[in-house]
Amino acid sequence: MDVRSQISMVFHLDKCLGCHTCSVACKNVWTDRTGTEYMWWNNVETKPGTGYPTKWEHQGEYRGGWEKKNGKLRLKSTGRGRVIPNIFHNPSLPSLDDYYEPWTYKFQDLFDAPEGDDQPTARPISKITGKPIDVKAGPNWDDDLGGSPVYAENDPNLDVLTDEERRQLFAIERMVFFYFPRICNHCLNPACVASCPSGALYKRGEDGIVLIDQSVCRAWRSCVAACPYKKSYFNWHTGKSEKCILCFPRIETGQAPACFHSCVGRIRYLGVLLYDAERIEAVASLPPEEMVEAQRQMILDPHDPAVVEAARENGIHDSVIESAQKSPVYAFVKEWGLALPPHVEFGTLPMLFYVPPLLPVMSKMQGDVVVTESEGLFHDIDRARAPLNYLGRLFGGGNTGAVDYALRKQLAVRTWRRSVTVGDIDREVALRMLSEADCSIEQAEAIYELTALCTFEERFVIPPSHREEAIEMLEDPLEHKKSVGFGFLSGPRRGL
Amino acid sequence: MSRSTARPARALSRTLLWLVSCLVGLVAFGAEARAEDPATDFKQICSSCHTIGGGVLTGPDLREVSKRQKRDWLVNFIVDPGAVLDSGDPYAADLLAVAGQRMPNIPGMTRSRAEGLLDLIEAESVHEPGKSRFAGMQISDRPFTDRDVAAGRAIFTGETSLVAGGTACISCHTVGGLGGLGGGRLGPDLTRVFERYEDRRKLGVWLSAPATETMLPTFREHPLEQEEILSLLAYFENAMQKEQEDDAPRALVLVLLGVGGAIGALLLFNRAWRDRFTGVRRCLVRSAALSESARTPTPDASGRV
Repeated sequence: MDVRSQISMVFHLDKCLGCHTCSVACKNVWTDRTGTEYMWWNNVETKPGTGYPTKWEHQGEYRGGWEKKNGKLRLKSTGRGRVIPNIFHNPSLPSLDDYYEPWTYKFQDLFDAPEGDDQPTARPISKITGKPIDVKAGPNWDDDLGGSPVYAENDPNLDVLTDEERRQLFAIERMVFFYFPRICNHCLNPACVASCPSGALYKRGEDGIVLIDQSVCRAWRSCVAACPYKKSYFNWHTGKSEKCILCFPRIETGQAPACFHSCVGRIRYLGVLLYDAERIEAVASLPPEEMVEAQRQMILDPHDPAVVEAARENGIHDSVIESAQKSPVYAFVKEWGLALPPHVEFGTLPMLFYVPPLLPVMSKMQGDVVVTESEGLFHDIDRARAPLNYLGRLFGGGNTGAVDYALRKQLAVRTWRRSVTVGDIDREVALRMLSEADCSIEQAEAIYELTALCTFEERFVIPPSHREEAIEMLEDPLEHKKSVGFGFLSGPRRGL
Repeated sequence: MSRSTARPARALSRTLLWLVSCLVGLVAFGAEARAEDPATDFKQICSSCHTIGGGVLTGPDLREVSKRQKRDWLVNFIVDPGAVLDSGDPYAADLLAVAGQRMPNIPGMTRSRAEGLLDLIEAESVHEPGKSRFAGMQISDRPFTDRDVAAGRAIFTGETSLVAGGTACISCHTVGGLGGLGGGRLGPDLTRVFERYEDRRKLGVWLSAPATETMLPTFREHPLEQEEILSLLAYFENAMQKEQEDDAPRALVLVLLGVGGAIGALLLFNRAWRDRFTGVRRCLVRSAALSESARTPTPDASGRV
């Protein structure tokens, strides 16, 4: 057992209201620079939809992630056979058109325009060329099913649906959709790290955050092609790739990452998971249907004395272990089995988990009147509005079992709480549903607390960073004590 | 900073100056050393086109030339035939009309060397026609065999090295039907050289002492042997005959081959990289727009759908 710690995340999709506050917070903090205009380290997609960059889930086109060939795991995008003939041009990179051409508006025209019969307008201007453009795409072009016949219908996950299911989904397409916020998954088996020819990417030992060393990056852009979630971006201005850093400067000072902190729907949870690194390859090699369960097995119980002992042996600080014991992520993923990794079939073992959306019916049209009603608020999961197959493709590696389990448990908890607070549901029915959903009353209460009443401290259990220990792993802090120095290794720089 | 770079720069310029002066000296010395006696000059330079009492080759027979034209004119012509020809001199124009070829300018030719040559020609003109030692070499007129052609080809391509150590023809010349990439492109194409020189004696004599600017320095010390010349003549004659038989428009064939090859290569690349990444969003939007327009019925004349 090789115990390591990872700062891990849960997004509760039923709570997401699609306000994009997370994206904006991230943009303002990190990617508001030349060359990063098109980067959305955090973005929110509408599902069904093609996402950002367009159709990123379609690995037939983008060749991201891992595949198993001759019993060995290998990257889809690179490999000796593919690298040499493509050394001057990485063939699977999304083009600017697959992202979008970043733009701003010529606001000055609003002030400078001469007096005339028409209102002055601010024309869109490309942020790359500075010339007026006709905006054809954006980072969130298909938000709320905008342009459905183009974008939503081409969602690669819809492939698993039958024609009949498809027809039903799109007959009511104006009503059924959910939001899918995405950041870097800080995977256990990151394809981006494996693909980098310069060795610029690394996964931090102490908390598992995947980073790109900007001084080592040599603009190969292999990570952009290799990441199946397309969460590594190339900065055309600096010639280096950049990606979500999970706001490590904030984490190190005990603050939640910007997107977590700003989340309006409070859908985000963050905490430490302990996992067994020895099993990474074995789990990543499994068929995708078994991967969700296997990945869950890799996550270790931080209360287990054997695990704690092994963690200590690996140099994990007691305070981190303590933090892992209070981790909301551990509860959602392992204890309750509610949160599932996105697209496990890509083989990177993502460490960002999603609670699949129940999508209750909030209201319906009767004649010309919108009626909000509780009758049939929770529908039958087998006839879910977002088909189970679809969610299974997104969160179960094609296996609907885990999604079904998570949805049933959520439904049971809601029914239970309704019977407690409103009382219009028979207590017996609620209890039966709980036991059918493999959920005790205590667990139901705990799920309810952490879902609905959670405080800031309960959502974000950030371990102390122990930078002093991390630095000691690299160099002895006392090495130069009392010795005569040679001045600065690199001179101090002032100003911008 | 400036001082440390200035010093090596000055040293460098001094070295350069020294090198340049050495080179100039060498060139001057070389020009001096080339001044040879008129007999050698005639053999190496003139005899490729002229004889003294041996009849007309490419250029006129020079026996008693000084009786036909003034000495001063002759010296000027030998030193710079190009200038005299271009000046529109009527006598030079007549000569050109008869010979059909311009006399090349001889590298390193001076007035004194020209005087020496004229003296030599005058001295040799006392012999009967054909008796002078500069009456020109005789080329055997036996019919060429296939073996001659093969030997000539071997000499041309350098498979057989030249006895005197000269450079193989292929390094500067090409001949039709050589195959592959052909020969060098520095000198002219020799496919029709046999035709150009009209008969084998003229070409043979020319080959015995080629006098152009490029060939003179190359072959002065390494003249071709009689047998080698004969083989080459056989080869050139053969090349010309083959060229005449196969008079297809080569350029057109080449262009057609090139265009066809390019199209073929593009098709091949397109096939080899058919699953290459060509962008996702644009295709998606385009195909959606296509299927949308196929789905929507077009309004009829009354504007109703």
